[in-house]
Amino acid sequence: MKVLATYNIKGGVGKTSTAVNLAYLAAREGRRTLLWDLDPQSAATYMFRVRPRVKGGSHALVTGGRPIEAALKATDFDNLDLLPADFSYRNMDLELDDTKKRTRRLGQLLKSVEDDYDIVFLDCPPSVSLVSENVLHASDTLLVPLIPATLSLRTLDQLTRFVADSEGSRPEVVAFFSMADRRKRLHRDVIEAIPRDRTRIADTVIPALSIIEQMAERRAPVPAFAPTSRAALCYEELWAEVRPF
Amino acid sequence: MTSATRALQAAGEGRLELQALVAALSRRYTVVSGPRLLVGRVQLDTFDRRLRAEGLALEHQRLATGELLVLRRPGAASAVAVPVTGLRWPALVEVLPTGPIREAIAPVIGVRALMVTSDEKRRMRRLELHNEDGKIVARVELDEPASGAGAPAQVTVRSLRGYDEEARRADRLLVGLGLQALDRPEDREPSSAPPKSGPSRAVPARLVLTKALIDYLMTIRENLPGLLDDVDTEFLHDFRVAVRRTRATLKLGRPALPDAMRLEWEPAFRWLGDLTTPVRDLDVYELDLPVMSQWLVTADPADLEPLATHLRGRRTSERRVLVRSLRSARFRRLIMEWGEELARLLDGSGDADCEPLSAGHLADRSITRAYRRVARGGALIGADSPAEDLHELRKRCKELRYALEVFDALIDDAARKRAVDDLKEVQDVLGRFQDTEVQRRALREFAGEMMADGTTAGAMLAMGELIGHLDVEQNRARREFDVPFARLVRPSNRHLMHQVGGAT
Repeated sequence: MKVLATYNIKGGVGKTSTAVNLAYLAAREGRRTLLWDLDPQSAATYMFRVRPRVKGGSHALVTGGRPIEAALKATDFDNLDLLPADFSYRNMDLELDDTKKRTRRLGQLLKSVEDDYDIVFLDCPPSVSLVSENVLHASDTLLVPLIPATLSLRTLDQLTRFVADSEGSRPEVVAFFSMADRRKRLHRDVIEAIPRDRTRIADTVIPALSIIEQMAERRAPVPAFAPTSRAALCYEELWAEVRPF
Repeated sequence: MTSATRALQAAGEGRLELQALVAALSRRYTVVSGPRLLVGRVQLDTFDRRLRAEGLALEHQRLATGELLVLRRPGAASAVAVPVTGLRWPALVEVLPTGPIREAIAPVIGVRALMVTSDEKRRMRRLELHNEDGKIVARVELDEPASGAGAPAQVTVRSLRGYDEEARRADRLLVGLGLQALDRPEDREPSSAPPKSGPSRAVPARLVLTKALIDYLMTIRENLPGLLDDVDTEFLHDFRVAVRRTRATLKLGRPALPDAMRLEWEPAFRWLGDLTTPVRDLDVYELDLPVMSQWLVTADPADLEPLATHLRGRRTSERRVLVRSLRSARFRRLIMEWGEELARLLDGSGDADCEPLSAGHLADRSITRAYRRVARGGALIGADSPAEDLHELRKRCKELRYALEVFDALIDDAARKRAVDDLKEVQDVLGRFQDTEVQRRALREFAGEMMADGTTAGAMLAMGELIGHLDVEQNRARREFDVPFARLVRPSNRHLMHQVGGAT
């Protein structure tokens, strides 16, 4: 079972869109796929029309009071299940802090479903927290969407250092540009100038397109409701670059 | 992910009307009905049903819109579907597209081909049941035979993970419509079959031997079509194993079987065994070639391509000889007359001249004697023993193994298992020794033939490297022989083998 996390310290950079679309594409090719919406804002959960509710909340999941299998929900798409968000996830840091091996608890929880899934996507909240540290330890790959702006590069540096400083096994960091507007000179310049020697930067650039914003309205992944759209093709290209199989 | 809750069908001779189903389900859900699809459903498995043994079900679905390969796994019964094109059966796993289905079944089926186990055309319609959020909470499949023949129409409610209660509700709505649960054979738990009751030790040995020989004959017959069609290499392998077991059973059964068996049938099956050897040997080389190419240190795996081509050519011509012989009147007569002979033996009319031995007595005698021969032969093996001695010992081990198998119903399971486990370890070492010996010799022979055909120097050097590696492996196998053999002949095992042999 491979674990991919979409993560960035900043919010609104396209983490959820990426997690939802790539999870859909993995499932479409027959991989048994799970998406865990770790963000209490529950955007991914909403997009799959699932109610953002986990019995017992974050506490029950983290303490093992309720097995994660009991909280899983099938989506409308074959091979794709969701572990929904719950508003109580806002307290997940506190719950994790009370457990043994507090930085590895999420990875331990995922072990219980490793025979059921080929790939797990973690859609992470935008923060540096105990949840983030858990995600680092649980993941094989950290997918980092970046808006092409100077500050984003600084954020990537911070994140790369955060990963490098973490103990134990570290995920591969793969950054990619998201919400890019080639009409903006700054965006073009940043995409050209980003140093590619320290962190792997995917060749695929996800453009800022209104059809991606429509995901929340259509409540479905882009390749499901607009399979021939440019956005769908871009996500397919990105998936081809980062797929672990 | 989905799993079937249960299948339903109309009561009596009643029909399944789509409108009635939709009306019943619409009382609680928004029902979205898909188009009616004509689906060709081809069930696939290997000849020896390896997928079924692992709880896997593989189906090739042909629809107007395209083709799908669908794999259902045990437990959650979640189905994985991948689009495919142009697949024809039988076929080896290599023809499947790379991806989850191939990854899941390749280790299960190994070198066996996937074959069609059933082929049916069905009309299907899928209904999606949506809740008030527009989320699909259950799926319903209406499945009817495309023609009058085939399994009757049925409705399957498929639950979605996390929405099991909704599937139960849908099921109740359909039951309210008068539908009844369909007891599908594949859904049933394996019946609690009565415990296997073997023959008693007092049963005539002739009967036990004849039943074993009939089983082997059935295996020979079952594998013949796949062998002739060259579906996969295991048909020939299983055919040969059945022939070898027949020969071993005839040999160990000599005291209890009529003389005709030794005079007529032992040579007949020796001929059959010898007939199949060249193709099987070439199969083994071809199957081993990918592993052998990994042994190369200085040569490139591509240097072995002329050897692969040579093997394929040799196999084609040897197979032609084999197929001609298996289609010959001699072979047909052998199989037919052997069946008749066994039938006569079974009803007791063909055993006038044989000793009336009990199965228990023969088991004791055969197992004890075979074990003694193994122990004696193994004790003579030293560092300088010629390869032929190890080969002879391997044959004695096989005889002991077959004796334990033929009389397994007379032997305590736990004792037999312990004996066989130790024996297997010795057989494994001897097998590796003998295989490397045969492969080395064969590589030299192939090299001579390939030289005459003007092969490349690269191929010769690579083959030389393989021979060097085989030398090392053979020496290793020889060094490893002493430990498992000592375990097989240790006093506790000797006592056990005598017990197994019935010396009580």
